[in-house]
Amino acid sequence: MSYVQRETPILADLCTSLVEDHVGELAARIFSVLARLGRQTLAAIARASYLSARQIRNGLSVLLQHNLVFHSPVGAPLVHYEIDWHYSYALVRQGSIAKFVEERFDKRASNVVANLLSLGPTRIGDLKEAYFPAHDADSDDESDDGTANGSPLKKAKTNGVNGISTKTNGDVNGDSHTDHHATNGATELGAQRKHPADDIPAEHVNGEPVAQDEGVIASEKQLLDIVQLLMREGWLMEADQTQFLSPGDLHAMVQETVIEEEHHGIAPTGTKAKDDMVRSILRRKRKIRDGWLTVPATLSSRKRQAPDSGHDRSTKRLKTNGGNEWSANTSNGASSQRETSPEDDIPIRVNPEKVAVAMRSAQLVHLVEQRLGLVTAQVYQTILWQLERDLPRCFEEWPDPPLPLKPGEEPNVEPPWVDPESLITARDIAKNLDRHLDVCAGLDPHTIVKITGKGHVRGNVLTEPVDPYGLSLDEKTRVVDAHIHLLSEDPFHFVSWHSRAGTISRWRVEFDEISKALIQYEIENTVLARQKGLGVKLIRALKKKGRLDERGACNAMMMSANDIRGTINDLTVQGMIQTQEVPKVDRREAKHSLHLIWYDRQRAREKLLHDTYKGMLRIIQRIAFEREKVQVLISKAERSDVVGNEEKWLSQSDLDELKKWREVQEKLFLQLTREDELVATLRDFIGPLVSA
Amino acid sequence: MDLLYEKCAQRAAGTIFFQRDLQNMQVAETLGELTMLVGQLCAQHLLKLMTFDSEMCWKLRTRSEADKLRRLNPDERLLYHHIDQAQNEGIWSKALRARTNVTQQLLTKCLKSLESKDLVQSVMSVKFPNRKMYLLKDLRPSEDIAGGPWQSEGDFDAALIDTISGVVARYIESETCIKVPGNWNDYTPMDRAQAIAQKKAQVQGVRDIEDSLAVQPYKPPVDPTAVRVVHRNNPQYPTAGTVASWLNAKEILKDKHVRDDDMEQLLEMMVLDGRLEKISGATYRTVLMASDTKTFNGFVDAPCGNCPVFDLCGEGAISARTCVYFGEWLATESEVI
Repeated sequence: MSYVQRETPILADLCTSLVEDHVGELAARIFSVLARLGRQTLAAIARASYLSARQIRNGLSVLLQHNLVFHSPVGAPLVHYEIDWHYSYALVRQGSIAKFVEERFDKRASNVVANLLSLGPTRIGDLKEAYFPAHDADSDDESDDGTANGSPLKKAKTNGVNGISTKTNGDVNGDSHTDHHATNGATELGAQRKHPADDIPAEHVNGEPVAQDEGVIASEKQLLDIVQLLMREGWLMEADQTQFLSPGDLHAMVQETVIEEEHHGIAPTGTKAKDDMVRSILRRKRKIRDGWLTVPATLSSRKRQAPDSGHDRSTKRLKTNGGNEWSANTSNGASSQRETSPEDDIPIRVNPEKVAVAMRSAQLVHLVEQRLGLVTAQVYQTILWQLERDLPRCFEEWPDPPLPLKPGEEPNVEPPWVDPESLITARDIAKNLDRHLDVCAGLDPHTIVKITGKGHVRGNVLTEPVDPYGLSLDEKTRVVDAHIHLLSEDPFHFVSWHSRAGTISRWRVEFDEISKALIQYEIENTVLARQKGLGVKLIRALKKKGRLDERGACNAMMMSANDIRGTINDLTVQGMIQTQEVPKVDRREAKHSLHLIWYDRQRAREKLLHDTYKGMLRIIQRIAFEREKVQVLISKAERSDVVGNEEKWLSQSDLDELKKWREVQEKLFLQLTREDELVATLRDFIGPLVSA
Repeated sequence: MDLLYEKCAQRAAGTIFFQRDLQNMQVAETLGELTMLVGQLCAQHLLKLMTFDSEMCWKLRTRSEADKLRRLNPDERLLYHHIDQAQNEGIWSKALRARTNVTQQLLTKCLKSLESKDLVQSVMSVKFPNRKMYLLKDLRPSEDIAGGPWQSEGDFDAALIDTISGVVARYIESETCIKVPGNWNDYTPMDRAQAIAQKKAQVQGVRDIEDSLAVQPYKPPVDPTAVRVVHRNNPQYPTAGTVASWLNAKEILKDKHVRDDDMEQLLEMMVLDGRLEKISGATYRTVLMASDTKTFNGFVDAPCGNCPVFDLCGEGAISARTCVYFGEWLATESEVI
């Protein structure tokens, strides 16, 4: 085997496994070719894969349907295909997406999202058709359905195969992809519509298969409401041709337009003109991207006619008594006939960037819970969820480069502009907070006494107990304010003070800084688990002081050199810290050199990210291995006559073994999700860090 | 002569005598006699000649010390003289050699004999760990060469640091945190909605179905002895200065004075250790963890995160299929090769 093929990078392996799990083996074969060779044409794939042209077309169409590959722009003489690494990796998150949507909205919404995830971009009309078919789906699809429902274990696989077999019409040629996928999706819908959240993680991570009876969407109108709500919140977005362009193609396309329109077709040469061009390219890219997220006019105008305002984002209320409102809806619009409405032609898809925002919130809340307690964490969650609506993504991928400084000019240090909408006051939070929360817990009793003005504190016990549920809004606001102060004083600075309006403090969340701190925190966590306290101490010392020689490190850590040498060695081997040798004299003798150690957050971050990918791949491989061991049993349990009558047809030892396998699988999937959380922290919350 | 010595010895040890002091003792009758007496005492090393502001002055040595000095050979005496001059800053052996121009062998020999006679001591310098500094036996090495209160014999005193940081941590915790017993807010949940509903039911005679949804919020049972530590409201966050003066007042460290700088070093180290956290520029508080169970992250909690052969893992003998750690973790069998 040639040198370049000796070992494929870990991420490629990982994504190939994910693709195989989610959309089937054929697609995975083609995916792995693309992963190995990079951007390829159809003919080149055929040469490299030993597959027939027809198979390749089928496989590619599946990949395209799931947004796993990019293709070059419509009308190009030769169509190139390229992997969308980000979205391919995001396959592992599908379960999380559905879960986050369910937490924030309800089961119905998560059902819609899960279906959209398994279908890829879909026209709203087709989605309607899928939920409320005009005629019954063909019978063979139904039977297929039955087996798949009964045996959740292999569901993803069956679906993948299913997807390929139904796609006989998938003759893919470079110029009509989007349409094709929409229609392809539609043919497949019949087979799939009955399993909400039908990817494996969703079911096994939550530990409970999603019940089908709950969260049934009763009418088309309700479906539209959900779609519209999710679009407004940024969970869904309009699917567009440009989304199928690889970053390189998109850049080329935008650059071409910019040159055409702003520079009269001549590529600029001067430094300033070039800089201008870079800026307008970035501006245009942002505009294109933000365009996807705007709710189409046909959908938003519909909203104004809608009589109820039940879908406002007050998540808690929606969750607790959402049922009523939905049913109220149903009565309004259930009788509407199937008619073609203007929004039917809008293709929609899940916004892949939004889930990172939700993951960030979840992790921050978890961290606050660990550091400051449950109640403060709940307060923080309310804050974050309130902010989330306006955050389509975690960080700006295409920020404007800093303006070039004129000589002698000071760098511009004025604080960045903050959208006043994104400021938080204690009162808003107090209003939106879960009413069943004991807001007083986790605070100094003296604070409570000061707020209520009743009784006093004796031996740290209130002499006059306070019922946290009986507080007036004003008192509650001040209690919440105390929690916010706790959040802001923490070294993570979960919130920071922004300004004062009247007597009310307004707060904001500086996500960028927190994200950096989170990365550091995870690196420290990793080191802590491997090295115990000493390694973390060393890393923190190096982070604070920069490059140190041995003596400097000893002084900072107040330990003798012998005690820390071993740790330095271990961390260097793991790639967490770097060493450097600076010769003092011409001869490079060890004795006459300075030996420095240093720590670079970005390097450690990349190293840990890479290791985590590898860890995830191992887990997936282990799952496959564990499944292989009980494969015979699984296929037995999946037989249509056995399903539902397991007790009757399987022996006790078989049942035990099946149970054991499910536990093992669950444990592994859970761990996979947790590693994915780490990946999100390390990769998705903030762009590359230039220096520590 | 002895008389003069005795008279001088009556003064507090370490007193420095100027000529007028000696004259005032009225031992000698003339200045000449006094000069002679002092000269004799100096020759016997009972007095040490020094200068202060270009004025001659003397200091008394004990008889035993003088005795030892008298037995030195000239080389040793020369070295002793130079070491003496360096006082508690100490002098590096190489510098000593440069100043005295003796050979290395002689230097080593003399220093050894001086040390064996308990006249000088050698100390490892903290600033230059490979330099041996010499100073007189009865002097305490200055902080420049011996380091601050946290160091002994040129190295950090781990046991001392451990103890003191424990004490300091407790002090800071008591300053910035407060222990709240489980029953601190022993309220009886009073539910207005419930009360209203009951009243309504009484008046109307029929219960309104909407009123009955007032479910009592779940109040977890509290254990009065379960103490939770929370951050104090409006605390006075300690700084290095306040902690240092507190520690000095407590006199935990025997005859050592902790300066603010030393304390800052200790506190910063404790921040690195994760025991304290810095609030603003120079104030500290205790790190609290609300939950006792420490989880790391998804990666290191799985076997791969701590795997000793992680880098070797892949296709082949070491792989996910054959992994013993996975087998242990999942309690399943791995493939045997």
